[in-house]
Amino acid sequence: MNAPNTSRMIELVHVNRSFKRADGQAVQAVEDVSVAIREGEFVCLVGPSGCGKTTVLQMVAGLLPPTSGEIAVAGHEIAGPGRDRGMVFQKDSVFPWKRVIDNVEYGLKCRDVPAAQRREIAQTYLERVGLAHVAKAWPRELSGGMLKRVAIATVFANGSQVLMLDEPFSALDYVTRHQLQSVLLDLWEEGGSTARRTVLFVTHDVDEALALADRILVFHSGRLIDDLAVTATRPRTTDSLLMPEMVAIKHKLLAHLGLEKPTAPLKVARS
Amino acid sequence: MPDALSSRLNAALATLDPLRVAGAVVFIAAWQLLTLLLPPIILPTPLGVAKRLLSDFWSAPSLSYYGVEEANLYANLIYTAENVAIAVVIGSVIGIMAGLLSARFNLVRVVIDPIIMTAGTVPILIAAPFLLIWFGVGRASAVCLVMFYVIVILYIFAQRAATNLDPVYEDSARTFGATPRRMVWDILVPATVPEILGGLRIALAGAWGLEAIAELLGSQSGIGKVLEVLAGATDPQGIMATLLLLGLTAMIVDAGAAFVVARTAKWSAPAR
Amino acid sequence: MSAIAHARRDRWISVAVFLSLAAVWQLLSVLYPAEAAPGEPMIAGWQVLFTNTFLSLADYWQGGLGVPSVAEGADRSYLAAFLSVLSHSLDTMGRLVIGLSVGGLVGLILGLAVSWARWTRRLFDWPLQFLRTLPLLAMVPLFQLWFGTYFIGEVMFVAYGIGVIVFAGTVNAVRNVPQIYIDNARSLGASRWTLYRTVILPAIFPAMRSTILLSLGAGWGAVLGAEYLGAQSGLGYIIVYAQQFAFLDRMFFIALLFILYTSISYWAISKLSARLLQWAPLSQRA
Repeated sequence: MNAPNTSRMIELVHVNRSFKRADGQAVQAVEDVSVAIREGEFVCLVGPSGCGKTTVLQMVAGLLPPTSGEIAVAGHEIAGPGRDRGMVFQKDSVFPWKRVIDNVEYGLKCRDVPAAQRREIAQTYLERVGLAHVAKAWPRELSGGMLKRVAIATVFANGSQVLMLDEPFSALDYVTRHQLQSVLLDLWEEGGSTARRTVLFVTHDVDEALALADRILVFHSGRLIDDLAVTATRPRTTDSLLMPEMVAIKHKLLAHLGLEKPTAPLKVARS
Repeated sequence: MPDALSSRLNAALATLDPLRVAGAVVFIAAWQLLTLLLPPIILPTPLGVAKRLLSDFWSAPSLSYYGVEEANLYANLIYTAENVAIAVVIGSVIGIMAGLLSARFNLVRVVIDPIIMTAGTVPILIAAPFLLIWFGVGRASAVCLVMFYVIVILYIFAQRAATNLDPVYEDSARTFGATPRRMVWDILVPATVPEILGGLRIALAGAWGLEAIAELLGSQSGIGKVLEVLAGATDPQGIMATLLLLGLTAMIVDAGAAFVVARTAKWSAPAR
Repeated sequence: MSAIAHARRDRWISVAVFLSLAAVWQLLSVLYPAEAAPGEPMIAGWQVLFTNTFLSLADYWQGGLGVPSVAEGADRSYLAAFLSVLSHSLDTMGRLVIGLSVGGLVGLILGLAVSWARWTRRLFDWPLQFLRTLPLLAMVPLFQLWFGTYFIGEVMFVAYGIGVIVFAGTVNAVRNVPQIYIDNARSLGASRWTLYRTVILPAIFPAMRSTILLSLGAGWGAVLGAEYLGAQSGLGYIIVYAQQFAFLDRMFFIALLFILYTSISYWAISKLSARLLQWAPLSQRA
């Protein structure tokens, strides 16, 4: 597939988003954010609560329009949600009234993919996330971690070029979180480095960002304040996280979050 | 009895709570005890009421002397049940559609809400005498009354169900590229069915009494008419037997409705 | 638009809806001037409602207080009409209030008593469920047989209907008191009785709010139904009596009055109970 300018898969140009509070006051959730994300990059958006990272994700997903500025995906300006951009939400978005397999198929159903074909695709991805045995179950019978796997399987089955995940694992316990990080990376790396989808992953967990990302975008008060490349090779193990470059990045992130004093003056990225 | 059926029955009997059964027995025994203290013209015996119900069910010739069209209980019960069914079906369709529309379109909501909320505080009975004048004595006024009641209840339940729908499902569906038609049929309808069915069950329960009193006010047939006639004849045993029949019918229908609710909404029982 | 501006605009639209309904009514009264009897139009315009119709209600004044009744040959007067409306309203409201109080109190006490232990709850379960399923409005003839059609009959009927609702509501509310409150109090050494007084009673109040509002609605319906079927006074009596002569205008006047009373009572109880429940987490305010 030859899209124009695939080196810039997602592009934000001077994007702003403001809200009106209940009392009429304006709140600037996102301020003048410009960034270009390459195809196949795994990008983590990091920052304290209320820094605008989720709002940026929702704008790229097309669920919220920017107050000003442009957002382009694969060279085209976006106009609302679409099949090219799949999203895993923070809340459980698996439809409780459909069985697990019907949920995974749903995106394909919306595309009018024939029943037998979409059943096969859905079944494959359920196996890849280790849930083939609960294909016929109701979502209410599943644990939180299992529901997240279903959501991930759904979004991969749908074949979106861009994947967005909004703090998907924040409500899960330590062990489940790490298991799901592996599941996500396995699915993402499938097919080799040329067929990888572009991923935007919002998290407030610095360690999670370091384990997953090629690139970390740091947000604060609605502004993009830093853009860090994470060069450690994959697969990332506990030891990778102890490498000096990684530790340096972690210090920078913790300083941005206000948890540590910066050792060197922090560079703030310019658009 | 075939094996499957008898084992099913045994399983059902095993889940019966002996204390609850005892409670029912104590209730009837207390009733019987009271009849020793009160004259039969005030309180007939439980056995007398039961026997009267069974005999009058198929044939009660005395009823015809008082102008009741069908001189037995079952035909009048059917008349009442028909009216309830018509009113509930039509009323719920209107109420559900209006309720869902009001959740989707703010303009619909602000126009209809004040009317429904006022109608919700006022007993729907206030409309009964007006309906009697407009439609005269007969089915139409009773059906209309119960229908208004059902519309109000289902409107409230449908609106609440649609409003409580977590926006995350809609957002998720949009990212899959769901068309507006799919949004209604794949998301809105299945998600709101349990709560709406719950409202339907509640509306059904109240409909019986409303239908009965509408018939009491002006009808030639039905359980209400029978009650009116028996009251005029100062027949407490007959009245209690008829009330028992109405109560049992309401109970059976409610059990059936509960069964339907459980089957269609089996995805929604909280399990985690 | 901010949320506050939204709410204000919505309120204006509600007012507009009622005003336009009133205007439609007035239009209809001009288009259909048919009368059931001279001076008693079927669709009475607002100007008629507040003059002639109101005046005609003096017919229902039974006399006394120095104002003679129309039945005894006196002319209709606004004073008599006012007294008539007042006394019948008080009759209806009196039946409602006494019935609600008696039924509510008895229902609450029985509900708390039955919730004392699991075995008592199970024992009373089936009879209670049965009484709940028996349609209340169908039982008017039975109560009239037992207690007559005067004041006490209506009151007992309302009390029974409310009693069953409150009984069931109380049992349910006690069952849903979070076990953790009870465990907490017990571990602090509360006796059974203290537990009831200081933990159960306040804890059930949020859940009881919906039961209270339900009882209010059911109570108005019950008192109206009882008055339709044989009372000698009250607003329901007037409506049914007027209906027999097809005096739609009088029926409409009384109906409007009734709507006013029920709306105000509902709003008042709703606001009052919300005030008393300021401590409860939002999710529990039924």
